[in-house]
This record gives sequence, structure tokens and C-alpha cells, in this order.
Amino acid sequence: MQLAHSKTPLPSRDESPALQARRAPSRVGYERSGFAFLLNAPALIALVLLAAYPILSSGWISLHKYSLKRPRIFAFVGLGNFRELLASDEFWSALWVTLKFTGLVVALVISLGLLIALLLNRRFPGSALVRTLLLIPWAIPPVVNGLMWQWIYDSKVGALNGLLVSLGLLRDYRGWLSDSTSALLALVWADVWNLVPLAVILILAALQRIPGELYDAARVDGAGAFQMFRYVTFPWLAQALLIVLILQTMAAIRAFDVIYVLTAGGPGSSTTTLTWQTFLTTFESLNFGLGNAYAWTVSVITLSLAVLYFRVLYRRGEIEA
Amino acid sequence: MTLTGSHRAKTIGLTLAGMLVALYLLAPFSWLVLTSFMHERDVLSVPPQWIPQDATLENYSIFFDPTGTRAIVGARAAAQMLPGMLNSLIAALGTALLNLVLGTLAGYSLARFDFRGRTTLLLLYLGSRMLPGIALIVPLYLMMKTYGLLDNLVALIVTYLTFTLPFTIWLLRNYFQAVPRSLEEAALIDGCNWLQMVTKILLPAAAPGLVAAGMFAFMTAWNDYLFAVILTSTMAAKTLPVVVAGFATDVTTERTLMASGGVMAVIPPLVLAFIFQRLIVQGLTSGATKD
Repeated sequence: MQLAHSKTPLPSRDESPALQARRAPSRVGYERSGFAFLLNAPALIALVLLAAYPILSSGWISLHKYSLKRPRIFAFVGLGNFRELLASDEFWSALWVTLKFTGLVVALVISLGLLIALLLNRRFPGSALVRTLLLIPWAIPPVVNGLMWQWIYDSKVGALNGLLVSLGLLRDYRGWLSDSTSALLALVWADVWNLVPLAVILILAALQRIPGELYDAARVDGAGAFQMFRYVTFPWLAQALLIVLILQTMAAIRAFDVIYVLTAGGPGSSTTTLTWQTFLTTFESLNFGLGNAYAWTVSVITLSLAVLYFRVLYRRGEIEA
Repeated sequence: MTLTGSHRAKTIGLTLAGMLVALYLLAPFSWLVLTSFMHERDVLSVPPQWIPQDATLENYSIFFDPTGTRAIVGARAAAQMLPGMLNSLIAALGTALLNLVLGTLAGYSLARFDFRGRTTLLLLYLGSRMLPGIALIVPLYLMMKTYGLLDNLVALIVTYLTFTLPFTIWLLRNYFQAVPRSLEEAALIDGCNWLQMVTKILLPAAAPGLVAAGMFAFMTAWNDYLFAVILTSTMAAKTLPVVVAGFATDVTTERTLMASGGVMAVIPPLVLAFIFQRLIVQGLTSGATKD
């Protein structure tokens, strides 16, 4: 290595911290705290300005009567907006739609993800190709995904109608997005297509960590395929599945783009989730006070899920205390 | 090696299942791609034309010459495609670059130093990754308005930074931890200072992590719609997803044009994904858990 003894003044006048570290007992190093925080400072400043401040500011706005229709009024109303929210039909309807949507998306993503991962964990001609194809739904921007499915579901010229009619499964073309039940299912299916690859990748990685000897031992003990899944695969997979479950639940609650393009919350309010209701209240009704009360409600729900996620990671020992 | 009958049957079963999965992953997207090569009148046919009988490149060439041969209702939208793509590219590259700089600094300190408040920082980073975008949008909008940054790519870049940086830090920390400490120590003994050690030893050793992190940041920024639609209003900063969604909600736009616009929006992330397939799979796994 031809590294010259250049005289760059970074990071301190006398010695580099890493060199000091070599001399100090390696695990305790409070004297390096200053340098460590210095390295974290740019990231911390960015996050405080662009995440911490906005979320607190959103909380502050949610305690006020504030509408862009009358931008001069900014009156403190305490928890008034939250009371209004809890008393409104829109909130409970949106909560119920969110539960249905999230439940269906997560159930489908996990079961499809598990099946595909179990399949791809085996070797067969073309398995590498299928793994590559997984990247297609994963890489598609949600807006384009919504556009693509809007078209597939189209009531006059859509591919789904064309396919079902030519297979004889459906007599007449129908408007999949104009009926409240089928609109929700259509939205779920479109979102699932976008989310499944991530689940497959995470589950597949967990499957590949299972030591092969465990299966040999189980085989010697005379276990069948189901018993092997139940007693060997599943226990090793449980945590990965839990992580997928939590991450996908949060992703489903956050879903926005696909709703915007595909159903815009309709017909009626049949696909209006809490996230979409937040958007409507804020940017259609221009009621920033109530809108931010919605935003905080969504945040609290998501962050409680995040706490769960941390606990799973903690138990795996991935965040060292 | 000879396969027994049951072995062969199993392989055939697996292959068939694999084909089914491939069809599921490929069919909706192929429909979009095929449509983008059709004439408008063929798209409207019932039953649908599965394979374009009279394929055309018109829906793509119009982006380069919006006022040219084909005067159509979607001409204005078509004219926005390339500028939108350029805006997306600037926003995504800017986000990726900032991520790598800030993420390397923070990720390194979390990987190597054992300092008071380290766990708190880790949890803080993880936590901010979980915030729903819809909860931040109003204050960010008001903030950008105050500073005159509405309809400006800078506003998009710093906003995307918030959403990508925690993941980048987490990911880079995992990659840096995997670089043997002895490499760094050897460099320091050879007389490198800290900065030289980082640029000449650590970063090259963690290069796959940097590529993966940069790519995830790029893709998140490229794919975003929510912030782009709220924070931008003209072609000064409108990104591709906003232009494309504009097609979708504008009933007069030709469908074939929507399809080719959608395909254009997919190409950059898809190409990246195919080139860096192994790194993506590694990075996604490492980012969600830690291995």
C-alpha cells in the first residue's frame, strides 16, 4: 500500500480516534463519544429538522382549529379535533376499511410469500429465473402499479374481463372497481402483487439459514413432509414471519399511491382507509386541524407496531443494549 | 446419475409450480408492455388483442417529438415525460448521494464505537424509519412554503433523505460491522490517518453495501408519489410518477400513451434491480433483520 504520511488535520490534532481506540480497552470508550456524535451530527440534524420537527408540529396543529379556507384563524381547541374525529362516522368507517384492507393484504402476502419461498427453496429447472422475475413487481413504482391494474380491471376493455369471458367463467364484462366489495378486493390484489416479492425474499433468506442436518435427523426419525414443516421449518421461520407480518402491516396502513390511482377511496367510501381519509380531510376539505388529528392517529397506530418490531429484533439480539 | 420415477415426477411438479409463479409475476406487467406497442384503436378491441397485431413505436417516439406527426389529445402530457424523467433522475441521484455521505458517517460510528447513547441513537433511527409519510406532509409543506422551496427539487431531495437515511444507516452499519477491524488497524499502523483509512480501506471493503444503500435510496426517491404531488406543481420540479398519475386521472389521455409512460417510469428501477440482483436480495435481508 502506498499511502503517504499526509498531514490532513482530521479528525483531531494529535491522534486518530481509531488509534486511541486500540490503546484503550476495546469495549469501553466513552472518551470517543464526542467523535461518535460528531459523525452522527449531520444525520441527526437532518432527521430532527425533517422528521422530529414535522411530527411535533403536526401534533401542535392538531390541537388547533385551522383550515386553509380561513387561514387567518388558528385557535387552540385542545383535544377538540380528536373529539370530533372520534364522533365522526368517517373515522370509524375508515378504521374498519383499514382493518379489512390491511388484514387481507397481510394474510395474502404472507401465505403467497411463504408458498413461493418454499417453492424457490427447492432446486428445479428455471428456479433462478423465477427468483429474478420477483424483482419485477418489487421494482415497479406504486403509481405505475395502480395504473397497470386500473387498466386490467377496466369495465369495457380490461384484460381481466377479457380473460374471464374468453375462458367462459364470466358471461358479461363487469365494472370491478364500481362495486364496493370487488373494488376493495381488486385494490388488495393490486397491492399484494407489489408487496409479495419482499416477503418472499425475507422468508427465503430465513429458510436458507436452517441447517440441513435438522432435516436429515427428522428424516431418520421418520418424519413426513408436514411434520418436517411443523417441527423443523416453522420454528426456524417464526421470527422471520413475524418481521414480515409487522413490516407488511405498516406498509399496508401507509398505502397511498395505489389507492390514489386505482380507486380514489371509492366507490363511496368503500376503499377509504385512514391514510386516504387523512389526505381527503387535509387536501380536499383543507381542514388542517382535523387532518393532522388523523395523521397523528395513523402515526400512533404505526408506531405501536414499530415498538413490536423492535421487541422482535431485540429478542434476536440484533440491537445490542 | 439416474433419476428415479418419483424424483422425476417431483421435478416436473416443482417446475410446473414455478411456471405458475412466473406467470403470476410476469402477466400483469407484460400486458402493460404489450399495450405500449399497440395502436389506440387496437387497445379498445373486445375481446382484447393479447399480442399486438400491428405493433408500433409511435407511443414512445411521441415523447421525443410531442408536437410532431401525431397530433393527439395527450400531446401536452407527452411533452412532460422527458422533463419529468430528468427531474426524477436529479431528485433520485441527489437523494442517493446525500444518503451515502451522511449514512457512512453515522453508520460507521454505530458499527465501530461503543459510546453512551448508542442504543438510543439506533432506536431513534429505526423509529424515524417507521413514521408514515402522510403524518409529515402538512408540516413539511408549510415549512417548504415558508422557505420558498415549493416546486423545487431541493425540497424533494431533503424530504426523501428523511425517509431513506434511517434505512441507509442501518444497512451500512451492518456492512461496516462485517469489515474486519484488523484491516483498519493495519492501515492505521501503516501511517494512514482516519480519513485515508476510511476512503482507501473501509469504503472499498464495504462497497457492496454502499451500492445497495445508494440503490435503495435512489429507488425510494424515484418511486415516491405522495410528496412529489404535494410539494411540486409545475414542470420545474414535477417528477415522473406525478406526470404518469396525471395520465391516469385525465380521461382524455390515450391509453397507449399511458402505457408507454408507465413503462418509461419502470425502466430505470427495473434495470438497476436486474443488474444488482444479488446485492438487493442481500441488502433487503440485512436491512430488515441483520445478517
